[in-house]
Amino acid sequence: MARKEYDTFVLTDLQLLPEDKEMEVIIRDLTPADRRYKYRSTFAMAMVSKSESKYPDLLWVRLGRGQLQEKPWSIKVIKEVNKIHEA
Amino acid sequence: MKKGGKIMPYPVFKDNREFIKALEANNDLVTIQQEVDWDLEMGAIVRRVCEKKSASPYFKKIKDYPNFEALGAPLATYKRLAIAMGMNPDASVPEISNEYVKRTTGDPIKSILVDKKKAPCKENIWIGKDADLFKLPGPMVHDGDGGRYLATWHFVVSKDLETQAVNWGMYRQMVFDEKTMVGPVLPFSDMGKMFYGKYVPKNKPMPFATVIGCDPLSGVAACAPSPIPEDQFTGMLMGKPVELVKCETCDLEVPAHAEIIIEGEVIPNLLIEEAPFGEYTGYRTSPREPRTVYRIKAITFRNNPILTVSNMGVPTDEGQLLRSFSLGLEMRKLLESQGIPITGVYMLPESTHHMVVVGVKPIYSNIATQIANLIFGSKLSPWFHMVIVVDEETDIYNKDDVIHALATKCHPIRGIRKYEHAVGTPLYPFANPDDRKWSRGAQVLFDCTFPLDWPKSDLPIKVSFDKVYPKEIQEKVLKNWKNYGFKD
Repeated sequence: MARKEYDTFVLTDLQLLPEDKEMEVIIRDLTPADRRYKYRSTFAMAMVSKSESKYPDLLWVRLGRGQLQEKPWSIKVIKEVNKIHEA
Repeated sequence: MKKGGKIMPYPVFKDNREFIKALEANNDLVTIQQEVDWDLEMGAIVRRVCEKKSASPYFKKIKDYPNFEALGAPLATYKRLAIAMGMNPDASVPEISNEYVKRTTGDPIKSILVDKKKAPCKENIWIGKDADLFKLPGPMVHDGDGGRYLATWHFVVSKDLETQAVNWGMYRQMVFDEKTMVGPVLPFSDMGKMFYGKYVPKNKPMPFATVIGCDPLSGVAACAPSPIPEDQFTGMLMGKPVELVKCETCDLEVPAHAEIIIEGEVIPNLLIEEAPFGEYTGYRTSPREPRTVYRIKAITFRNNPILTVSNMGVPTDEGQLLRSFSLGLEMRKLLESQGIPITGVYMLPESTHHMVVVGVKPIYSNIATQIANLIFGSKLSPWFHMVIVVDEETDIYNKDDVIHALATKCHPIRGIRKYEHAVGTPLYPFANPDDRKWSRGAQVLFDCTFPLDWPKSDLPIKVSFDKVYPKEIQEKVLKNWKNYGFKD
């Protein structure tokens, strides 16, 4: 089965995306089953790594003005967090 | 217009569909039958159209969305603005400006409410679970944008909690998930004052309705910074009342002939990251940051709805053109209301509405400073930061002439006055990150008039065809121009 792909935005500094630590992050789904849902965003609890192979899915990283980093990271999505309904 | 006490409509269009037909009749439309992808391809086409000033692209087949169509760059040129106003497509900018001022200076024309059965925007209604933003073909406009921007050429309807005043304004909206959109609502904007000033302190959600694919003049009105309510302003531009219809889930009213309506609530005390987005300045300036959240409740739309798509970037898109046009004319009304002897006001769309050019008869000293003080004192001034004042021998609509005056008449020290501590926007590319964060700006006046205290004998004489040749020689040359062999 092909790996799922996501992307995320880091506002200024890649240090804001700590590796191998469970954290909350906004990710966009780049490979949904129904293509109409591409770029759907969600809050998720996840762990990430600079290593492309460490976690099950791929994570592309963009800086605050959309600059795409050359190499993808990897991500393990633990669960979606419904922050909007919690508000 | 009023004739014998009766309102007479101008030859304008009741909806986007009639406007599309008019663009086609005027050879200003390219109908694209080939399937186009909403994911960047559509945006790239519209961007190139804006940069080349090409005809509007009308997309008949959108990938993944078989029942939807889209119109790109609907009002990105003065020709299309002239068509939208029912004027000669070749009308000059001063002609369009004068017509616009004439129509919008009289009495406001109140809109009328029509029955839902007579409102095409109610042909399809999705409420509750069915209301899903991903069922609409929101384009990924630029590579690197923070999301899909469903609302790029549209307006948001909202109502003041205390005064019940209605506002139509263009506030960009990015799709976050099926039910959520996010976007910037600056605190000094009309909707910002309503929402952050009145709803948020009471922790009340604010009902909103996003109108996509409206008739062209409602879009022009939503861009216009006039104190007249935008629905009535549209009526003035049309010469007849706008037809509105009640929303399904709130007491707001929306144009009955619009293509798509998204209803919902703006949520207080919750912010979600939005952006980046290619902006009207021609840059991606404001960073991704927490912004205003819209939760949707219903989507209503016409059969085979036509989405309107603008693509902000380097000039010229409709945001730059119409905002420049209407901001400039509001400044003209302001200066005329104060009795300043101006010859005209023009905002260059290429300046991304940052530069106001004012022509004046300099009959007293420091008139340029007085003009700048009035313009920078207006509530609209956060949207621009440069005022260029030229005398009556400069054609304010002619870029070459304005640049010539700026480069030759403005003294590098005495002609420039700087204004600090101004209100700015987070979108100014020249501002530092802290200034952007706090919407701080600065402003500058370029006085391109010669001082009145110079002796007449010392005044430089402009050397141009129409200034330094006797009338009879000019007429002779013009009459014989083609005989000499020139083709232009």
